Amino acid sequence: MKIKIHINEERCKGCGICVEVCQTSVLEISDEKNSQGYFVPVARYPDKCISCSLCEMLCPDFAIWIVNCLDEVSS
Amino acid sequence: MDSKRTIEKYISHKAFPSVWCPGCGIGTVLYSFLSAIQSASIDPDFIRVVTGLGCAGKINEMLTLKTISAKNGFVIERAIRALKKEPHSIVVAFLSNPDFLLSGARDFMRACKNKARIIAVYINNFIYAAGRDNIRPITPFMRSSFDGNHELPFNIPALADCCGASYIARWTPLRAGWLKYSLIDAFNCPGFAVIEILSPCLIFEVNNGRIRNTVERMNFYNENTNMNEEGAWEKLDLRGKGKILIGKLKDMTNPEKNK
Repeated sequence: MKIKIHINEERCKGCGICVEVCQTSVLEISDEKNSQGYFVPVARYPDKCISCSLCEMLCPDFAIWIVNCLDEVSS
Repeated sequence: MDSKRTIEKYISHKAFPSVWCPGCGIGTVLYSFLSAIQSASIDPDFIRVVTGLGCAGKINEMLTLKTISAKNGFVIERAIRALKKEPHSIVVAFLSNPDFLLSGARDFMRACKNKARIIAVYINNFIYAAGRDNIRPITPFMRSSFDGNHELPFNIPALADCCGASYIARWTPLRAGWLKYSLIDAFNCPGFAVIEILSPCLIFEVNNGRIRNTVERMNFYNENTNMNEEGAWEKLDLRGKGKILIGKLKDMTNPEKNK
């Protein structure tokens, strides 16, 4: 898989902006809690991701980021 | 494969979880600022971040850059002093308390007039005074007092335009990509740059249960702003009815593209 979605669960506060913003509905709010007691998102359909990185731009807590492996190889 | 971002070196990892509420717009503004530094390939040793009071005053806890914290209302005065000490540095002032137009108004106007190379990012979350009958210079409306607000508020982009600022813009945090390129323009601008951000606050703005969560609050800000109007400086007033005008309002580095 060329695109990897990293989610730092300890930073997340469960605001749900990344789930709302995702155009291809990759993310979902899961039933698992982190140590703060928030429901963290999970990448349910990672094959749909187009690496627009809107979730990365709008996350207020720096908890999610996208790594495109093609960019890393070329750079 | 190293999974860490290049932005992570600007963030202090001891500060997590951050002090802000879930879904606060200040974190988005901070991400846009850091990615603008990265995209413009600026040496982070030349950046000085000045913060004051309020929610945006906690930005200096999150950063590994060189930060300065100022007294209430004297953020721009402290930024001018930092610029005088090191004239080649890029000074970014994050303002959230509107007292910079009360006790520090002369410094704001002087920095606009003398074209000091400062970027003033004002994060406006519509929380002006938590106490009763407590009015600040830019309070558009009041719910806490019986009579409302009798004073006319300052219109910050119009005030900065009168005093001679070189770059003026206004955004919401949901337009984070536009905000990033606006900050890159402000880094290249030779004069005083003012960027106002209409940021949502989930805790204090409660509209009788109509807006329930963060996502609805963000969409509320997105639906009630308009970007494609030309020359409507009257619509900059936050007190007026209809949609609020956002966008790039003045750019003296490229005068032909002024709206």
